[in-house]
Amino acid sequence: MTTIDRTSAQTRTVQTRDVVVIGGNRIPFARAHGAYATASNQDMLTSGLNGLVARFGLQGQRIGSVAGGAVMKHSKNFNLVRESVLGTPLDPATPATDVQMACATGMEAIGSLADKIRLGRIESGIGAGVDSISDAPIVVTDALRRILMEANRAKTPGQRLKALAKIRPGHLAPQAPGVNEPRTGMSMGEHMAVTAHAWGIGRQEQDELALASHQNLAAAYDDGFFDDLVTPFKGVQRDTNLRADSTLEKLGKLAPAFGRDLGEEATMTAANSTALTDGASAVLLGSADYAEAHDLPQLATFVDYEQAAVDFVDGAEGLLMAPAYAAARMLERNGLTFEDFEYFEIHEAFASTVLAQIAAWEDEEFCRGKLGLDAPLGRIDRSRLNIHGSSLAAGHPFAATGGRIVATLAKMLHGKPGKLGFISVCAAGGQGITAILEGR
Amino acid sequence: MTDRIEEQSTGPVDVRRIELPALKDIYVHAGWESARSAVAPRSSGAADELPGHAVVARHPGASAQQLEQYRLLFGGEPFDGVHRRGLPSVLAHILAFPVQMGLLAEEAFPLPLMGMVHLSNAVEHRRRVTVDEPVQIKAWTEGLRPHRRGTQFDAVVEVLADAADVGRPAESEVLWRGVSTYLSRGAHLAGRPGDGEPERQPESSEREEFIPPAKTGQWRLGADMGRRYAAVSGDWNPIHISSVSARMLGMPRAIVHGMYAAGRMLEGREPDDAGHRWRITFEAPMRLPCTVAFHAERRGVDASAGQVVETFTGWDPRKGRRHFTGELASPA
Repeated sequence: MTTIDRTSAQTRTVQTRDVVVIGGNRIPFARAHGAYATASNQDMLTSGLNGLVARFGLQGQRIGSVAGGAVMKHSKNFNLVRESVLGTPLDPATPATDVQMACATGMEAIGSLADKIRLGRIESGIGAGVDSISDAPIVVTDALRRILMEANRAKTPGQRLKALAKIRPGHLAPQAPGVNEPRTGMSMGEHMAVTAHAWGIGRQEQDELALASHQNLAAAYDDGFFDDLVTPFKGVQRDTNLRADSTLEKLGKLAPAFGRDLGEEATMTAANSTALTDGASAVLLGSADYAEAHDLPQLATFVDYEQAAVDFVDGAEGLLMAPAYAAARMLERNGLTFEDFEYFEIHEAFASTVLAQIAAWEDEEFCRGKLGLDAPLGRIDRSRLNIHGSSLAAGHPFAATGGRIVATLAKMLHGKPGKLGFISVCAAGGQGITAILEGR
Repeated sequence: MTDRIEEQSTGPVDVRRIELPALKDIYVHAGWESARSAVAPRSSGAADELPGHAVVARHPGASAQQLEQYRLLFGGEPFDGVHRRGLPSVLAHILAFPVQMGLLAEEAFPLPLMGMVHLSNAVEHRRRVTVDEPVQIKAWTEGLRPHRRGTQFDAVVEVLADAADVGRPAESEVLWRGVSTYLSRGAHLAGRPGDGEPERQPESSEREEFIPPAKTGQWRLGADMGRRYAAVSGDWNPIHISSVSARMLGMPRAIVHGMYAAGRMLEGREPDDAGHRWRITFEAPMRLPCTVAFHAERRGVDASAGQVVETFTGWDPRKGRRHFTGELASPA
């Protein structure tokens, strides 16, 4: 049996240190099959990393680790991040890791790097993410793959022919990646429609949230907020999904896109649901010592992050409600409530996702019964929520969203020492991540 | 659970040993019979009595290949021989089905085999049945009774241990027991309520209005789903195979096998070491291709009965018509 030396464990605790967000860079997000239709994940990620390298003068530097990933990934891209790093001016001795946690991929990449830096294993890290709907990994059918593999294993030409003779025309149809949860057969939107209905989230409030997202993002661009966060790609300067001139009337006219079997009670439209988009993002993290030694900015401290998952398969919990649980554990660990936060960045997978999480955190019964708390986690002041826009306006290239949010929030907190920012990102498979940033 | 399985009849004393029937031959013969009776109908379509005997056949058990084909169809967790070894209940049904059909195809059986409607299934899966485990399958019919649209009866099937005394199997030798209730449309019992005086049962319009529960899953069933289940089960009943073959039997389109729905409902939810019971009751047929909305709900642990109960509903999300309801009671 191994015994733990408590003294040294405590010493180690003392030795953990602040992790700072130095800055971020992303390419503008583009609606699927649009401006980036011919760009691959590697193209976009390399460009996003190149922008970050240029912005912080990282040419020739060996970064402790680059972690990132894509949700929609070709099997040939098994080393997507390493291959992208090799395409940048970073020191080729920079190691890279591919990460995958559905829409929380970017957050997990950044959070796990922060832990490594906190423990002193590395001094610097880049958390990144990219996704392309336009270059989705189309594969052959399971049936055709089995036949081809059987032919491959054949020892004689006769056996090979016998295997190949099993191919039928139906086997030849190309297979796009599934959009449905494998265990329920329901798309994310259909799942969210059920959750939104259960929480009584109305159409009007969803449309209002969507409109605010577009208006906030447009204002942030106009104010130059993204000038040092976004680098153009293929001639695109701004997120192409952004509709600055949208109105509640326009949004109100759209027919429901999800939960249509709810009839009159269907509330989710194409406008209050996030559009499929292509894009990439990257965030530079480091120890405070690293930032100081390299004369780099220190926007915010990456304080903590928490993963959660829920039992959604038979409807015990909503598919996208895991962040509600992550938040409860994370806030308790840090002795915080929502009253303590200056800004909230809640990923808008759907407007109703944000509203259902907020409703849950305000709900006495949910907080007691499901989260095991004595009282609700508290209200979230809407004037502090997604104030520079979020995924409904910017789009959501799945793995790139975490990097977009962390860089945006860190910049918002910069110059506000001690002020806290909250992040929530839901993910497929009933998963989610929350995080805390603190201004410096 | 309120089902006929509670009665636990042990079946007729007269048990006749048969060879494992081939479903294909049964369907070919039944199709021929059905065509012949269309030209020269049987006297009145009156059913009198069910056969007074049971049949029993030996079965070598499910092969690893059949089990894997089943898994490819339903997409469940791997049968690794360690953590998952037990045959799914529906695969046990697949093994037993030819024996049941053999009995129903006998001359002594009074109702036409083709066009029979599957109303419900109630299964008690008492003990684990493993791959390549030889078993005996015993089948009989009972409970001939009127239905507002014809005549219904129960086909009882038991999967018995290979060494069981088929006349009087010990409690521990009955591994699996299923009761399938079928309706023979338009057939009426002699001397019982018939066309003239139908038994008073609520018509569909009078039935309680179906309010769909919250959807927890969705099944997209392609036009080939009947053929895919047939390839795994051997049940090539024409009503499931194609629109053309279904139309020959008076159906507008092919319908999915009821047991496919049962398998899908149970996938990932059955305890590997068995000891569970389940039922499924069919309502509107699932015409292929279709999308079925599905609701599963864990009703919690019934401590007194020592079981966990889950209930299921399948329905057409567009028309709001219910396809089936189901229930699974597993040891707590």
